[in-house]
Amino acid sequence: MLKKINYQSFGLVGFYLVIVIIFSALSPVFRTAGNFSNLLIGFSHIGILAVGQTFPILLGGIDLSVGAILGLVGMTTFDLMLIFGLPGYIAIPIGLVVGLLAGLINGLLIVRLKLNPFIVSLATMASFRGLVYAISGRQLFPGLTVMAIKDPTYLAIDGSLGHVPYALIYLIIIALITYFILHNTKLGMDLYAVGGNENAARLAGVNVNRVKIAAYLISGLCSAIAALILTSRMTTSPEGLGIGFELSAIAAAVIGGVNMQGGSGSTLGPVLGAFLIGTIYTGMNLLGVTQYAQPVVAGIILIGAVGYDQFMKERRRKELQAQLLLQSLRMKGQGG
Amino acid sequence: MDEKVKRESAGFNRREFLKISALGVGAAALAACAPATPADVAPAEGGAQSSKQAKDSYKMTFVQVQPHTVSVAWGQGIEEVSNVQTNIEYKQVDGQGDPATQINLMDTAISEGVDIIFCQPADSVALGPSIKKARAAGIPVITLNIDAPEAHAAHVEMNHYFGAIDIAKAMGELMGGKGNVVILNAPPGIIIRDMRTNGFVDGMKKHHPDIKIIADQSAEWDRKKAQDVLSTILASGKEVNGVYGVNDSMALGAVDVAKTKDLIGKMVIFGNDGEKAALESIEADELSGTQYTDVWQQGRLAAALAIGLATGGISATSFTNQGHILMPYVIATKDNVGSIQAFQRW
Repeated sequence: MLKKINYQSFGLVGFYLVIVIIFSALSPVFRTAGNFSNLLIGFSHIGILAVGQTFPILLGGIDLSVGAILGLVGMTTFDLMLIFGLPGYIAIPIGLVVGLLAGLINGLLIVRLKLNPFIVSLATMASFRGLVYAISGRQLFPGLTVMAIKDPTYLAIDGSLGHVPYALIYLIIIALITYFILHNTKLGMDLYAVGGNENAARLAGVNVNRVKIAAYLISGLCSAIAALILTSRMTTSPEGLGIGFELSAIAAAVIGGVNMQGGSGSTLGPVLGAFLIGTIYTGMNLLGVTQYAQPVVAGIILIGAVGYDQFMKERRRKELQAQLLLQSLRMKGQGG
Repeated sequence: MDEKVKRESAGFNRREFLKISALGVGAAALAACAPATPADVAPAEGGAQSSKQAKDSYKMTFVQVQPHTVSVAWGQGIEEVSNVQTNIEYKQVDGQGDPATQINLMDTAISEGVDIIFCQPADSVALGPSIKKARAAGIPVITLNIDAPEAHAAHVEMNHYFGAIDIAKAMGELMGGKGNVVILNAPPGIIIRDMRTNGFVDGMKKHHPDIKIIADQSAEWDRKKAQDVLSTILASGKEVNGVYGVNDSMALGAVDVAKTKDLIGKMVIFGNDGEKAALESIEADELSGTQYTDVWQQGRLAAALAIGLATGGISATSFTNQGHILMPYVIATKDNVGSIQAFQRW
């Protein structure tokens, strides 16, 4: 297991540390505990989305609807509490079920109608977002636009344990559980098998459809958890909540070493990927880098991160090839 | 380039006058916002001091929704005033249109220990907890255009509601008091959308009750989307005599459609904001009118207020009431658009 962590994430960890050291050296505020706390609070939800996104990508698919699912879950719980007066402890599980249902719809459309995951999730992204506007309590009852969620159970979701934000604790738990699923369960093995070669996996007896549905269910559930965290933090659920989050989640997953072609990657890298994105933006803000230059600099640094990781993997692949060649030559020599 | 030079040379004295008047108005607003005896007021939660020590330099951050014509002009107005102070460090950051990103930026500004935060919230309620956090840290927050229910130092806004009433009045007059109107609107969930829409609807009811509003559709603040929305409405065969774009971009999208369908002069089109492109369109006999606000001046007023609070050592925990400044405006039409000088066009 350790070998896998090192192989996939060591380059990224090194790169992340370099970035942290540079920003810490340049900005006294960056190296404060308060700033790191902000980083952990501010980007944990992207980490959770990235972990969820890892599963469809591992299958060679994608889930573009995660931001819209997040918005839908947020609006559902908002409506349940502020229109129907339900307590938070009922709204929370219903929100999680809505996230799972949205993931189930994605999965079923992909396996039953044999549609491309990109097209399916693009369509559901639009549909779920439309649904958010349609059920928006803030539109049905305009007074709710300026009304905040006050349910203590719901607001407690985004609390903190001393200086450690709950959002980070959720992220760590989710990352560890999903890591365990990927590397220690049959579902995990099947996910890699289907992502590596779907036909071969099917011939080997893997229930491909079930694996695909499971991947989108996990993605939907992660979106729902991120929605609960954010709406608890904001005390409302704006109609546009989550727009563009899918891109951050996909970027974090890919930076974290998940192969877009499927078949390789894990869930710890994407967590680091999410914080790398957050660190770069926060660092640049603190250094006063102009807002127009920030996306350019972020893009360059992220390409550097992925490029460095790819370079390390390629070097390791060549080393392995050379070792294998050497071994085979030795064996031939012994045989001769 | 020539226009810029012309603006800067011809308008120099006038601009200087505006800067000075902005500082004067800001000081007056400051007097209205600040408590008479800050020391008497108990600090809010967080225990920050109600007054601050004088400092050698001060930091101000503007957390905008995302870079756009209006917020860029606000920033320029703020910088004009803050740059001459020599001890003010000003920064404008991009909220990427996302309340969650704005919350992160607010948290960063609080960690940085800035003296003032300007904020245009992407959502009025969502930024509330961050505003509360800033207040607990003693940092006054000044909102621009979009207010937040969470109490803060002051709110400086365009006159959305009353301006929209006047737009309806002027538009109805050009339509002869009858006909059908389409509203090209912003997406739901933002207070100014409701204020600009409600003001328009109320204005029509009051001044031109025979005019019907036959459609109110979102074009997401966007010129291209406004073209698509209006084209679809026109294709349905409905008679449209007037279009109200809740911002100028959407109104200019309607102008684009009117040009292609030969409806210029037959359809009354109004916008809101008063950006340079809209004023030029009015002069070209395309757009019928818009609500013009000097957004540079709005930025200067906010800056004057902020600098007064920061250098005056007034903590956010001192406020008993939130200040509120409404910007003056004119309904610009072909008759009066020429009176808006080049140096006032943002």
